[in-house]
Amino acid sequence: MPMKVGNRPFFEGVDKAIHDSFMVNAVSSAQDGLRGRKLSATIGDKALGDWEEWRSAGEEIRAHTLNNLDYYLKQLSDNFAARGGHVFFAETAEEARDYVKKVCKEKNAKHVVKAKSMVTEEISLNEALEEEGCEVLETDLAEFILQVDHDQPSHIVVPSVHKNRQQIRDAFKKLGYEGSDDPKELAGFARKTLRSKFLNADVGITGCNFAVADTGSICLVTNEGNANMVTSFPETQITVMGMERLVPTWKELDVVVSLLCRSSVGQRLTTYVTDITPKADQDAVDSPKDYHLVIVDAGRSNALGTDFQSALHCIRCAACINVCPVYRHIGGHAYGSIYPGPIGAVLSPILGGYEEYGKLPYASSLCAACSEACPVKIPLHKLLIRHREKYVEGGGHPPVMERAAMKGFSIGASSPMIFRAGTKMAPIILKPLVHDGSIPKGPGPMKPWTHGRDLPAPSKENFRDWFKKHKQQSATIQAKGTGESL
Amino acid sequence: MRGTIENRDSFLEKIAGKLNRTVGEVPEMPIWAHKPQERVYEDYSEDQLTAMMKKACESIHTTVCETNSDGLAEKLKQLIDKYGAGKIVATKDERFEAFGLSNVLENYQAYTWNYKEGHQNIDKAAEANIGLSICDVMLAESATAGLFNDKDKARSVSLLPETSIVIVPKSSIVPRLTQAMNLIENKVENGEDVSSYINFISGPSNSADIEMRLVVGVHGPIKVAYIIVSDL
Amino acid sequence: MKVSLFTTCLGDLFYVDVLKDVTEVLERLGCEVDVPEGQVCCGQPAYNSGYAKDTKGPAKNMIRAFEHSDYIVCPSGSCATMFHEYPNFFADEPEWQEKAKNIADKTYEFTQFIVRVLGVVDVGAEYHARATLHTSCHMTRLLGEREAHYTLLKHVKGLDLVPLPNNYDCCGFGGTFSVKMFPISEQMVDEKIRHIEETDAEVVVGADASCLMNIGGRMKRLGRPIKVLHIAQILNSHQTEGAERHADESRKSTIL
Repeated sequence: MPMKVGNRPFFEGVDKAIHDSFMVNAVSSAQDGLRGRKLSATIGDKALGDWEEWRSAGEEIRAHTLNNLDYYLKQLSDNFAARGGHVFFAETAEEARDYVKKVCKEKNAKHVVKAKSMVTEEISLNEALEEEGCEVLETDLAEFILQVDHDQPSHIVVPSVHKNRQQIRDAFKKLGYEGSDDPKELAGFARKTLRSKFLNADVGITGCNFAVADTGSICLVTNEGNANMVTSFPETQITVMGMERLVPTWKELDVVVSLLCRSSVGQRLTTYVTDITPKADQDAVDSPKDYHLVIVDAGRSNALGTDFQSALHCIRCAACINVCPVYRHIGGHAYGSIYPGPIGAVLSPILGGYEEYGKLPYASSLCAACSEACPVKIPLHKLLIRHREKYVEGGGHPPVMERAAMKGFSIGASSPMIFRAGTKMAPIILKPLVHDGSIPKGPGPMKPWTHGRDLPAPSKENFRDWFKKHKQQSATIQAKGTGESL
Repeated sequence: MRGTIENRDSFLEKIAGKLNRTVGEVPEMPIWAHKPQERVYEDYSEDQLTAMMKKACESIHTTVCETNSDGLAEKLKQLIDKYGAGKIVATKDERFEAFGLSNVLENYQAYTWNYKEGHQNIDKAAEANIGLSICDVMLAESATAGLFNDKDKARSVSLLPETSIVIVPKSSIVPRLTQAMNLIENKVENGEDVSSYINFISGPSNSADIEMRLVVGVHGPIKVAYIIVSDL
Repeated sequence: MKVSLFTTCLGDLFYVDVLKDVTEVLERLGCEVDVPEGQVCCGQPAYNSGYAKDTKGPAKNMIRAFEHSDYIVCPSGSCATMFHEYPNFFADEPEWQEKAKNIADKTYEFTQFIVRVLGVVDVGAEYHARATLHTSCHMTRLLGEREAHYTLLKHVKGLDLVPLPNNYDCCGFGGTFSVKMFPISEQMVDEKIRHIEETDAEVVVGADASCLMNIGGRMKRLGRPIKVLHIAQILNSHQTEGAERHADESRKSTIL
């Protein structure tokens, strides 16, 4: 699965989404639940102390790490290799895919099991391995469902939120499932089906929630136990990591893991917080013999040294997605990227360019709910505006009329005289359009507004004129009161 | 045994260039302005931490009971019977003997992990009903058992069987993840070896991926129980 | 206390009634109100669409207009927020940045000014109705004023204020978003209206005319009978129960 989701133009995707009432209800219901849980586990958990301080701690750590990224990546790779692991730095998605293919080929791997990893979807790893004749099984329940159903994720933490239990049961039928649509039964089927796959796989592939530079360790944050299976039984472990996903030491790991668990699912900690450090010469039976770490750039460095660098602070908690009113109504697929919602609208153009993703930063009312929710204080709404600036400065293709309109606006809004004339003319010019006190069919550029809303009728009375009279009346009253003449 | 690093130089040069740095230039080590994690539960007594841990067990669907070293063997027996006994695996942990549990393991014909026996260990764990481990650190805030696994204290024991029973020495209870991470970082700073598989486990596996409905027990254990030993 | 009224372009074009109410409330609380002649628009439409260069002209015009004000009071949280953003626009023009900082430091949203500067929580208003408050995003999240509007409404005699479910969800205005992305915007305002209807309120009140234009415009189109009022219209109301609610004949209109 690549970063791009679907091939539909943005507005077509939006239209499909807003008419998919199951999906919209599922998404808004999931949002309400996840938001509530996050609030209880953060601002609502008095024992935690000042949540704003926690956010500042997260921001500090991420900013320092990204500002010195080369140093920490060097430290991480030195420590990973010192313990017998193999590190590959992949500048592009292709390089990353090729390396993983090479390792699987060398191992004669036929069966690969995968824990959930957004970056592996981004680089289309599954397809690449399947082309080499590997069976690649997603083992995270949601990803397993999506794989069976040839579908794509719509949320970065609960990827199959758009699917109902009947759809999931129908998907499992393809694997011979004969039970009901009860979630417990469906999950039980996944447990049975995947158990032997874990125990017999040749290669286990994971993503990386956070790497720890000072020991060369990988931290995986999960609930299901599948990541533990994937990292214990196959002889070869390959971890694919977005290059920005690391912390300097275990002390910082404490902060970011705490922020992630509470912000994403409202848990103090997820069921499994697993810290893996390679030890290639160990005698452990239930441990890989061979460890690989693929560190991926794939466009992330485009943000370094720019206003967008803070976008790389993201810890992939989806707190922004869970509060976004736009995501609430269009779901994940409409964004056309595996990274949806506010972080998706900021990241996708950075990783994939404005040609493909330039509309996303405009799919926002700039309500700033995302910036408020982000546990590491990424100023998401400001980055959306910054994208729009770059888009109109030449990064994208804004409509010609829009540029002209903005120029006109700039002139008009800088000139009190023009504006005053405008306020006097508007009621006269727009009079023919006024019905019952408002304008149901707007002129030219306002037509999209009046598709669903009336425009107010311009005020016939001019405020400045009223104010002048009002001031004179007050002065008269005062003078009368004091007996003074005007 | 050393591993390999490929493609690093040009990769890091590109990054350093964008950040206006020289590759590998050592940054000034930050003194963090914000460390709220250090103050959480800082004045809790051992009893308060234990009480908090027991409460936290409720929300993670974990059974908890407390006894002392004299009553431990009996308590363990009761728990094993409660969960249906059957096939049992245990980690190879000298604390089982130290805690007086060798007889219990013997009576139930528990299989003690023996890495020398290779893959059959995994088979035993996979067909076991109950896995027995002793935790290295217990995080009170979230009732999280921290297990520092190795070739003897195998991760499979707390992963594959349907039920996981973890013995929790009271002395291992700390407020939260912060203290556990500090412990690990101290080892790192002292040049000590760190376990290659540290698992912080909070209850049975679960998922809410189907219509956001919580299902307890997915790939990992379906049931988890703790026995706190108050004088260990 | 001398207070300069920042009327906003929407106020001047569509909501003169609201501006009258704002003026009268401020005067009743002892302020001497003036209306700087040169003001036009804070520049949000250009700024939010990414046309940073086209924002400078309108911004400089506003800075000039309000240069000599003691206090700048605005019946719109989003426009007041823009003034607070101005110093960032002029990082490359230190002289203008200094002026922008002066403006920003003395700019307040209307309810914020009453509660935080004048120290008043009861303006002596009376308005008998069941009402719910729409909490505008810019005012609450960006300006950081989450309480003043509640405080003032709680003291309005006769007002039965009920909480709005999902009040934190944006109404869907977002300036040019409501035009450029109108299908999504319509979904958002429809959900907002559903929540308003859940409260059984007769009136929805807000402190930002742009949000109210959006909600009111959709209500009108759908033919819903709920009144959409700016908070100034409530705060300037003195009617006793049953009597006419308007300050004067000319202010019969609801927001739309």
